[in-house]
Amino acid sequence: MKIKRKIFFGFFTLVLLLAAAAAYSIFEFYKISSTVNAFLDNNYMTIQASKNMMEAVEREDSGILLLLIGDFDNGRRNINIGDSLFLVSYKKAMNNLTEDGEEAYLDSIDFHYQKLKNIVKYPIVGTIKQGNVDWYNSKFHPVFLDLKKYINQLMILNQTSMYREAKLLEEKAKRAIMPAIVSIIAGIIFTLIFNYLINYFYLSPLKRIINKINISDSATMYTLDENAIDELKDLDMSIRNVIDHKKSY
Amino acid sequence: MRIPLIIKYLGSIFLFLSFFLLISLIIGIFNHEDTILIFSFCVILCALFGLFTNMFVPHFPVINTKEGISIVVLGWFLVCLLGAIPYLLWGGEFSLINAWFESVSGFTTTGSTILNDIESLPKSILFWRSATHWIGGLGIIIFAILILPGKESRGHILLNTELSEIAKQTFNFSGRKILRMLFIVYVGLTLAETILLTVFGMSLFDAVNHSFATVATGGFSTKNLSIAYYDSVPIEVTIMIFMVLSGLHFGLLFQTFAFGPRNILRSTVAKYFIIVLISGVLLVTLNLYLNGYGSFLYSLRFASFQVISLGSTTGFATADSAHWPFFSILLLIYFTIQCACIGSTSGGLKFDRIVIFFKTLSKQIKKTLHPQAIIIKKIDTQSISDNLENQTLVFIILYLLIIFVSTGLLTLMDVDILSAFSGAAATIGNVGPGFERVSSLGNFHNIPSAGKFIYTCNMLIGRLEIFNILLFLSLRKERF
Repeated sequence: MKIKRKIFFGFFTLVLLLAAAAAYSIFEFYKISSTVNAFLDNNYMTIQASKNMMEAVEREDSGILLLLIGDFDNGRRNINIGDSLFLVSYKKAMNNLTEDGEEAYLDSIDFHYQKLKNIVKYPIVGTIKQGNVDWYNSKFHPVFLDLKKYINQLMILNQTSMYREAKLLEEKAKRAIMPAIVSIIAGIIFTLIFNYLINYFYLSPLKRIINKINISDSATMYTLDENAIDELKDLDMSIRNVIDHKKSY
Repeated sequence: MRIPLIIKYLGSIFLFLSFFLLISLIIGIFNHEDTILIFSFCVILCALFGLFTNMFVPHFPVINTKEGISIVVLGWFLVCLLGAIPYLLWGGEFSLINAWFESVSGFTTTGSTILNDIESLPKSILFWRSATHWIGGLGIIIFAILILPGKESRGHILLNTELSEIAKQTFNFSGRKILRMLFIVYVGLTLAETILLTVFGMSLFDAVNHSFATVATGGFSTKNLSIAYYDSVPIEVTIMIFMVLSGLHFGLLFQTFAFGPRNILRSTVAKYFIIVLISGVLLVTLNLYLNGYGSFLYSLRFASFQVISLGSTTGFATADSAHWPFFSILLLIYFTIQCACIGSTSGGLKFDRIVIFFKTLSKQIKKTLHPQAIIIKKIDTQSISDNLENQTLVFIILYLLIIFVSTGLLTLMDVDILSAFSGAAATIGNVGPGFERVSSLGNFHNIPSAGKFIYTCNMLIGRLEIFNILLFLSLRKERF
């Protein structure tokens, strides 16, 4: 093979190596960005919805307590705000089912919320329930606690999944960097080998030819590797011809 | 020494490896796994390096011994380094040291693993693990010679370096004939075991992987529980038969199957090896039975598998022998040190050296009694030369010294003595599992990183039979 082709092939190899590593890393980084999006879409929205549901039921609880002390206006307002916030958040969570078991938790939340609503729909102010702490403790509070428990479990489910995704993200970042590291090391080793081979097969013989040229005697001239079939061999032959030609004069 | 020639050969080895990486890539594509990019990248890396060196460096008709030693030692080292890249790119449990450990363990057919959950790995990575065993079992250099075109002399130098002195003497063939014979036996055993395991209910993928690991006397399984996962007597018996066959001299196996004059039944070493294995099985069985492990047959089932597995340096497991009575553990440690026969795929001390050691011992006793006597000891028809006796004794001493030094270093890292010692013996013998923390159903995950590195050095030393490493290191003193 001719020197030109060999050197071209060497650089081509290097370029291909770096291109492969770059393509690999870019693809892995692209995967990281899609994981981040999925991570936000899948879990963060549901966690936010769970927090809002929690706030909503807390509001409804404070509404009930206000009704118990006879503050009808503030009590009802709190319950209505809580109710609308709960329904919006519940709908959001229901439209974003991504984890195994998430639907079951949402069904339980819905069931307990309906139970809570059934208790709240009857009047409190002006009835025997007003000021009745026992009624609150025995009827409302247990349902309220159950509801909070399921909302909390939904939140934990999504937080765990978020943690898992974050761990996966760390893994993916490593995977994206690794090919680049491997390529850099391989590239350095390859460059050193390439440099060594050029020096061994071309520069070193060239230097020896130049050193011997002054002797102007083809018989004592440095002999190239007999297997060489490249431009150096041509140069060697040309110089020998010139020397022989000069000698014949 | 001509460095370009060494580079050219290393390139050829890389080119050969890229073929197995390509198979892993195809498995990845077929199973829609996340490893497609990993293996594509590795194939490109290997193939480019291999093609470049082969195109750039011209043909060298002759190799000298120093170049041969350099090609073999550097070849093994670089192959292990390259084999770690797919693991490193996969991540998970594979940190830098873990990937190196798994790769060295694979290529040297040790079979020790750092993985806690093997079954979570994709099939393409599992295949690559087993492929490293299969490539390393016959010897990466032997594969390289097989695929490289060229003169007999070049292959001969490399073969001389790859095979130990005793192995060469016992083959009774020369040059490429040995290679062809080794290849035929190796592929034949692999195919036969794959077919039998498939017949006995293993999936084709698992059968191929387990056959690769058995015939190479490796021990990597595709299951966390190793062979215990299958809980099948026919599968265990099949694997046991192939473990014994793979632990025997391949030249003898070839001659046996070809109805040649030198066969297993006529070989002293093979006979002794089988007798020692049977004795070991019976002793461990009795020890387990008398200690209430279960019925005699139940004890025999597990004892035979564990003894043959360690005695052939494979390292598969059907039981956690770390919880066995101490006498059984001691016997199993003996089999870990003894290893299998020369001329097989096993590494380590090799049983032939033990036979030579005892023959030398008996010769020395006779010489003391009859100082004027000329005593010639023989193994079958071949006499044991003084040089071979000396070599064997030096080898055994060095071997034991390395075990003790590495045990000492491991204990400095707070590894308990049984784990450190059995781990050192199992890694230099290319056996795989040890006891306690590194037991047959355990792994090397919790060994400190420096300890893992020491174990990988042991594996390479065991695989290259110490002298090649020493020769290579002594080359540094000479002029390049």
